[in-house]
Amino acid sequence: MGLLKQLSSFCIVIFGVLLLTFLLIHLIPGDPVEVMLGESASVADRVQLRADLGLNQPLIQQFGTYLAKITHADFGKSIHSKTPIIELIKTRYPATLKLAFLSLLIGSSIGIPLGIYAALKAGHWQDFVVTIVSVRLSAMPAFWLGPMLMLIFAVWLGWLPVSGMDSNASILLPAMTLGFGLSAILTRMTRTSLLEVLNDDYIRTARAKGLTEPNVILRHALRAALLPIITIVGLQIGSLLAGTVITETIFSWDGIGRLLVESIEKRDYPVTQACVLIVALSYVLVNLFTDILYRLSDPRVKFG
Amino acid sequence: MKRLTIIFILIVLAACVKPEIDTEIRFAVTTMPLNLDPRYATDAASARVNRLLYQSLVYFDAQSKAVPSLASWVVVSPLEYQFKLQVPRALFHNQTPVTAYDVKATYDSLMTLKDSPHAAEFSNIAHIEVIDNDTVLFHLKHADKDFPAKLIIGILPNALIAKSHDFSHDAVGSGPLKLMGWQNKLTLKRSQDNQLISLVEVKDPTVRVLKLLDGEIDLLQGDLPPELVKYLQTKPEINVKTNIGENFSYLGLNMQDAALNNQKVRLAIAHAIDRKAIIQKVMVPNTRLAAAILPPEHFTNLSDNNQSHFNLIPYDYNPDLAKKLLLEAGIKLPLKLIYKTSTDAQRVRFATIMQAQMQPAGIDLEIRSLDWGTFFEDVKQGNFQLFGLTWVGIKTPDIYAKALGSASFPPNGFNRGRYADKTLDELLAKEDWQSATARIHNQLPYIPLWYEGQFVAMRKKIQNYLPKPDGNWDDLATISNYAH
Repeated sequence: MGLLKQLSSFCIVIFGVLLLTFLLIHLIPGDPVEVMLGESASVADRVQLRADLGLNQPLIQQFGTYLAKITHADFGKSIHSKTPIIELIKTRYPATLKLAFLSLLIGSSIGIPLGIYAALKAGHWQDFVVTIVSVRLSAMPAFWLGPMLMLIFAVWLGWLPVSGMDSNASILLPAMTLGFGLSAILTRMTRTSLLEVLNDDYIRTARAKGLTEPNVILRHALRAALLPIITIVGLQIGSLLAGTVITETIFSWDGIGRLLVESIEKRDYPVTQACVLIVALSYVLVNLFTDILYRLSDPRVKFG
Repeated sequence: MKRLTIIFILIVLAACVKPEIDTEIRFAVTTMPLNLDPRYATDAASARVNRLLYQSLVYFDAQSKAVPSLASWVVVSPLEYQFKLQVPRALFHNQTPVTAYDVKATYDSLMTLKDSPHAAEFSNIAHIEVIDNDTVLFHLKHADKDFPAKLIIGILPNALIAKSHDFSHDAVGSGPLKLMGWQNKLTLKRSQDNQLISLVEVKDPTVRVLKLLDGEIDLLQGDLPPELVKYLQTKPEINVKTNIGENFSYLGLNMQDAALNNQKVRLAIAHAIDRKAIIQKVMVPNTRLAAAILPPEHFTNLSDNNQSHFNLIPYDYNPDLAKKLLLEAGIKLPLKLIYKTSTDAQRVRFATIMQAQMQPAGIDLEIRSLDWGTFFEDVKQGNFQLFGLTWVGIKTPDIYAKALGSASFPPNGFNRGRYADKTLDELLAKEDWQSATARIHNQLPYIPLWYEGQFVAMRKKIQNYLPKPDGNWDDLATISNYAH
């Protein structure tokens, strides 16, 4: 029942997203007809094209047509390149997905163990070092960290390509750039939430029962400390799937974020519309999965 | 555990093999072309690539005069222009010869396309008649002396136009380069010797430089801040070549603004900018002061024996004079003005320098840095006091009428500052370019800034490539890779 309620609110959010992305083209300044025909087109040509595109119809009718097209995955064509937008999404979104998940893998495989280590060594010099490193990493913006990694791993060491998508290794530097930032946040979050549970009675009981320390930490303490970590990971996946514009731009990574920004710059309205829709859907879906994961990791959590 | 970690790291590093650099020439560009169909392409990158993929009926020489390319022409009457295809006959990339039918089909299709931004340019064509396989006759609705200079659209094969071929992604032209593929990079092959050339989009200037130093790309052209150009000049493995530019940068002024409508105020602004200092300190080599849209070497500035009669002297920096002029114009100081520009780092840098330079002249310049779409929309709508832009690739003198003629307020032209001057209109109608440019220089409907220098940075193995004044990439037709 709770899940059904969750799904119905999901559908309402999706409808809201569709309505907003549709209205986007009518709310932002500028005119797609002018973008297509240029400044010097005649009034007659503008009127004709506006009619051909259906932009002279009542808004509600246009929204109906928009919804009908979306159900057939028809987002229209790019104003400038004339490419079907679904083709652009098909090539750009998997690239963003790949980058997002590798970044997440790097971020969690560094951040969570370091956070556990820092919590176990709380108050010692090791905790201090981990704190310094994670604060430094989270303070490094992608536009600085990216070129630094390029300098070290590509130009000086010659191990990796500077940027682009030519080889499988090309993904490593952008994923490291994003992953390092993410790992810093995860380290702090894991440390804090683990410290909160480490002094709880059930942990003391587990130790008193004679369980090994790794067992106590990984099976009991970490599971209880997982909720805030899942929240952070969920939010981070959402923003990673929305495209990390700066990293994608620096590393010439053809993802959805870069496509969105380029389309805004070029006033390619249908592409912007489709990208915003995809990004919003990603956020909504990730949030839904985060809620489901909550329930799986802590049975006390109910869908409300 | 430690051993396992070391083995894992070694495996990852072993997988990180950099792509092998082959004989392909890799050219880093700031923006990829958007559309390879010359009937639709409007952006600079598409125009530059399309010049290499297609051939047009005419092209421009060093003085920007229209000269025969695919065809030579005769003026049959003021309303009829006959074009004859040159021999030997050019071949399309699909090996079919270019004929008069292809010329007709290209321009016919252009005029019937409802969403082509170029269609309006050719609305003066009444109809096109094919005389024979090599000859085509354009019938115009109104006389147009400059008509041949407009025929710079690449010619497409008639048979493919009939099949509604997607030229925007699968270009088939008769130019020196042939399209081989377009995924993450645009790959071209030179018909003459099968040399592969690929265009790679790298937006960030620092990354472009790193890729050049690392050998991942072989050359880059323009769009770098001067400090990076200077840095590249110190690198032994990099060859930097520079040339003068002809793309005109200027400050646009809104004539509907009460203060800016006063010529003395415009003159004060011209005297409040130290352009020499800006060029010297923060611009790439070979940048020169500008006084008019068309540069001194343009044919409108040359006499019949090719002697330059261009005598406009750029305004010097004189903040005291600027302040005096403002007071004479009845302006209460400081004069507050809003300057709109894009978010491009170099443009914002110019804006901040000009802001500081204008202060002693009593001008309080507020900078509004907007994303390109919003900025350009504001410029087109006349929603500005001052803005900074560059005219790129301008060849024909009709730009003066389009940009400053009183009949060219948007949407009829590009007179975005809404400047209206009967004297100038008359001079432009008479095509008295010398007097017209003098009048513009005196009235200052815009403040001329500079023609930004052009440069290319390439690895030492790359030869036979020079930057061109308008920034085109035509030398990709002759470039060579000596590592090959």
